[in-house]
Amino acid sequence: MTHADTADAIDAIVGITPDSRVAQIRALRPDAAGYAQGSYAALLEPADEAGLGRAERALIALRAALLAPSRAVAAHYRERLQSLGVEATTIAAVEHFPEGGAVSPQLAAILPHVELMTLRPHAAGREALEALEAAGLSARNIVSIAQLVAFVSYQVRLAAGLRLLQEEQQ
Amino acid sequence: MTAQHGFTLDAVEWAAWLETVDPATLTPEQIEVLKESTPTALTSPYYLLLVHDVAALRERSRLFNRVMYAPRGLARADRELSTVAVSRINGCVYCASVHSRLYAQLTHRPETMQKIFDEGIETELNERERAIVDYAAKLTRDPEGATTADLVPLRQIGLSDQEILDLTHAVAMFAWANRLLQTLGEVVRPAA
Repeated sequence: MTHADTADAIDAIVGITPDSRVAQIRALRPDAAGYAQGSYAALLEPADEAGLGRAERALIALRAALLAPSRAVAAHYRERLQSLGVEATTIAAVEHFPEGGAVSPQLAAILPHVELMTLRPHAAGREALEALEAAGLSARNIVSIAQLVAFVSYQVRLAAGLRLLQEEQQ
Repeated sequence: MTAQHGFTLDAVEWAAWLETVDPATLTPEQIEVLKESTPTALTSPYYLLLVHDVAALRERSRLFNRVMYAPRGLARADRELSTVAVSRINGCVYCASVHSRLYAQLTHRPETMQKIFDEGIETELNERERAIVDYAAKLTRDPEGATTADLVPLRQIGLSDQEILDLTHAVAMFAWANRLLQTLGEVVRPAA
């Protein structure tokens, strides 16, 4: 396992250093930090990928973060994709979807769903999931994608709140 | 009768748009994670759907239960208030139903919830409620635009660092929860 796999993602995103005041505040709820990182591992570095690879998962997370929007969370996933060796053209195609160039047929089906979940969850309907099934995704894949996109929505709010506590100290 | 906005303090059900895991085929690991998630998970379509990805559900349930129920820190009623505000903004009728009833049990003030349902989060609230709801709304609608000015009302009502962390966790948790319930299935209302 590389260092990037074990470092706390939220600390990295917000720039929380171990001895800082915000680190001490976060340490008041160690379980919440631990299970958020556990969720990150389960969704982005799963032991069983079930047909949805790490690069694809990080591309989905990048798109969700860009739409949320959160520059800091998006930057984290962009760096992760680079460290996974994903081509810059693929990253750009996802960032600028659907105008950024070709993506895989599976991602072409998933990325509109990422946008729906991130920006208009109230407008979702059964047909959105049928489109994912038609692209060959299993119920398990669809659940994993939903958890991943919703998890990024969690990260974006938590990162924003921690940033405020950090700025308040300065 | 349901008001036009659809939000209600009544109990509602939820039905999945995808095939849930057949309880007869659950692995021991899935059973363990469901039991740990919530007492009714073994018969809940929502949990029987999420348990398709058992590793993700384990972490998420542990996080959810700590964020909403861990002792000390922000009062449980304040956590519930924030989750109802987030659910009202995002339009999650199911989450709002469950958590407005938890709020009402804790505070004996269902009318506060009804006002938020009927008039939206801009309804008249006391200073403490207003500060909590406004912070929840800011992180929900405009996380990137939030500034330290958004913390000032929370400090004015006396919230500690830990209480603000707890509130942030609850708001973030419902950015997550709302999206699962809204995009993987639909609310089913009991027959009138």
